[in-house]
Amino acid sequence: MTSQQSDSRVRPPFWRDARVLRVVGQVIAVVVVFLLLRWLFANLVDNSRRTGISLDFGFLNRPTQFQIPNHDEFDPRSPVWQMVLVGVKNTLLASVFGVILAAVVGLVVGIARLSKNWLAAKLAAAYVEFFRNIPPLVIIVFFAFAVFLYGPLPNLRESIEIGFPGTDHNVFVLSLEQWGMPSLADAGNLAAFGLFLAFGLVIAVLVWRWRTRVNDQTGAPHHRVLWALGVLAVLLLVGYVVLGEPFRITWPTLGENRRRLVDGFAINAGFISVAGALGLYTASHVAEIVRGSILAISTGQSEAANALALNGFQRYRFVILPQALRIALPPLINQCLNLVKNTSLAAAVGYSEITNLTQASIGNGRPAVPSIVILMGVYLSFSLIISFMLNVVNRRMQLAT
Amino acid sequence: MKRMRLLALFAVLALVFAACTTGGDDDPGTTVASDTTQVDPGGEGDNGDGDGASGAILDAVLDRGSVRCGVNDVLPGFGTVDEAGDYAGFDIDFCRAVAAGVLGDPDAVEFVPLTADARFTALQGGEIDVLIRNTTWTATRDGQEGATFLKTIFFDGQGMMVPASTGFTELEDLADATICVLSGTTTELNLTAVFNARGIPFNPSVFADNEQLQPAYESGQCEAWTSDASQLASGKASIEEAGGEEQFIMAEIFSKEPLGPAVPDGDAAWAQAVEWSVMAPIQAWEFGLTAADVGSYDGEDPNVLNFVGADGFDPGLGLSPDMNVTIVEAVGNYQEIFERHIVPIGLQLEGSPNDLWSNGGIMYVPPYR
Repeated sequence: MTSQQSDSRVRPPFWRDARVLRVVGQVIAVVVVFLLLRWLFANLVDNSRRTGISLDFGFLNRPTQFQIPNHDEFDPRSPVWQMVLVGVKNTLLASVFGVILAAVVGLVVGIARLSKNWLAAKLAAAYVEFFRNIPPLVIIVFFAFAVFLYGPLPNLRESIEIGFPGTDHNVFVLSLEQWGMPSLADAGNLAAFGLFLAFGLVIAVLVWRWRTRVNDQTGAPHHRVLWALGVLAVLLLVGYVVLGEPFRITWPTLGENRRRLVDGFAINAGFISVAGALGLYTASHVAEIVRGSILAISTGQSEAANALALNGFQRYRFVILPQALRIALPPLINQCLNLVKNTSLAAAVGYSEITNLTQASIGNGRPAVPSIVILMGVYLSFSLIISFMLNVVNRRMQLAT
Repeated sequence: MKRMRLLALFAVLALVFAACTTGGDDDPGTTVASDTTQVDPGGEGDNGDGDGASGAILDAVLDRGSVRCGVNDVLPGFGTVDEAGDYAGFDIDFCRAVAAGVLGDPDAVEFVPLTADARFTALQGGEIDVLIRNTTWTATRDGQEGATFLKTIFFDGQGMMVPASTGFTELEDLADATICVLSGTTTELNLTAVFNARGIPFNPSVFADNEQLQPAYESGQCEAWTSDASQLASGKASIEEAGGEEQFIMAEIFSKEPLGPAVPDGDAAWAQAVEWSVMAPIQAWEFGLTAADVGSYDGEDPNVLNFVGADGFDPGLGLSPDMNVTIVEAVGNYQEIFERHIVPIGLQLEGSPNDLWSNGGIMYVPPYR
């Protein structure tokens, strides 16, 4: 009894004081982690010194020495850091196409799964169950082998050329190795035209905001898409005329010995396999997220939209999806990050993204540890930048409470 | 309150750090970290044959009772896995020779299949004891990969193969062509160097191993396949046997590719054990000894008597005096190994650089005295 009374006034000894113990526990955890990291690092330094393996980054300035597939413009004598940039560019390219494909397909499939149309719902369900349950590497390899290597397309020399009616230009060139499509080439002032484009985009955004404000204040129809695109188109046209044809369209053409595509924009089998496979794979996850977020919107919203006589498209566009997107965004960020990281699987089909090039570079005598450190840094910065950008969007879209 | 906590955290970290850095110099016992940062005062760590750790791998192999040998498992002639799951091939037999020489048992080998990209990492990391995987000896690999290359057991060179129907006969016919090549190999670098030097534009198509490369080549995804001539011969044989198109290997050999075993830097005793083990079949060939008769040599040639360990001759390599007999009985002499594995893929021994020095080739080993 007496002890109970004294407890309320006198502090317990520090080894039984929960506040002290909590702090001490944290300090011990930090020290242990720190020592562990230090021990691992010292191990690395020691072992690499013992086996004579270099840990310094000087190799970045030495020549790459090998030719990067499908990059004729790359000089094998250029330093390794330029090779790294090529890899980063290719990783970005595959990621961007993959994310766009995943978003579009995922949205359509996710909505289709909720459709009252039996066939649409079942097809969407089958799509999701099929792609979600196969590892992405298998899908990539399937694409590379079934669609390209053993697929129906001919070699580049006998490639299918789809011409533009009335001219002898090719719009598409399809072959086993590469697909060609039209592209823009600099005709002197492309950079200046880029400035026009940036300027036009800024103006278009301002116009968009102005129309939104008009709509908010007066209730007049905003037509902001038409307005913004119209202003952009007019500005670009003015720019095109003022700069005197800053660019021209180049059509994919086979070189004289029919061994390579000249002009146009060429994408290779590895890129299509990776972007396509990862896009379709991630779409199955996106579809489930979309479905879940739509189901999370109370049926009252849908019924209210019906009561307002909105049609199916309007119901989704103006009532359901804006609310569902708010729920879907955090898991969508994860899928986006996954897709970017999964592009490293492209190494299996010889697409020259950063992992593939790093492997080749290590195989060709560049020190492994610094190379891998750079590789980790690249993926880490990709992921951090993406999650930062999407988190900003997410914060702006959250309900203000 | 929060700021206080953060300050305290930094204070603690600073203390720990200080303790570690000073402790490392004075008293190696204070922290975990400093135990591992002890540097070998000989300073031999850089490239090599440091005496500090010499014998460590040899001792580990003897303790374990098996040799871990890094090999290729998808290259017919050099290293493949047969239907029964057993490894077979030219490189495989040399792994078995090492096991026979060091442990007296040709079957005491643990084969570790490796891709071209992974082989040196495996060697550096101690995952394998010796690398016998059609690996070219180069200065960079000796200097930067932590590897020590030993006696070349196969003199190879880079060649170019095309389907015979194309009618191409020289590299210049391949301007702008897509060429299949393995990634992370000397052939990849050499392809780039040779084509750039001659101003022939080309587009490489790179693969991790021959199992991916060969179907791509057969499907026409690339017009030519470049690799060591021995690998091309092996690819040609396997394509033609399977009923594929007839293949043509261009006459020009445009690189030197000496293939041999490699061991990790820093263990001279192990390097010598491996080197003298792989040289035994070559010496046996020169003496005319075969798997069948090496054990029953009854001649008078003192050199041969030394070789077969008669009269207890021991050169002091720390290996058994009868190691050569064990090796040759297990895998045969060099000619037997070559005829068993390399001749079937379409390469001949006579007249090639791999022929004995006394027959006009360059295969030459130091005397066993």
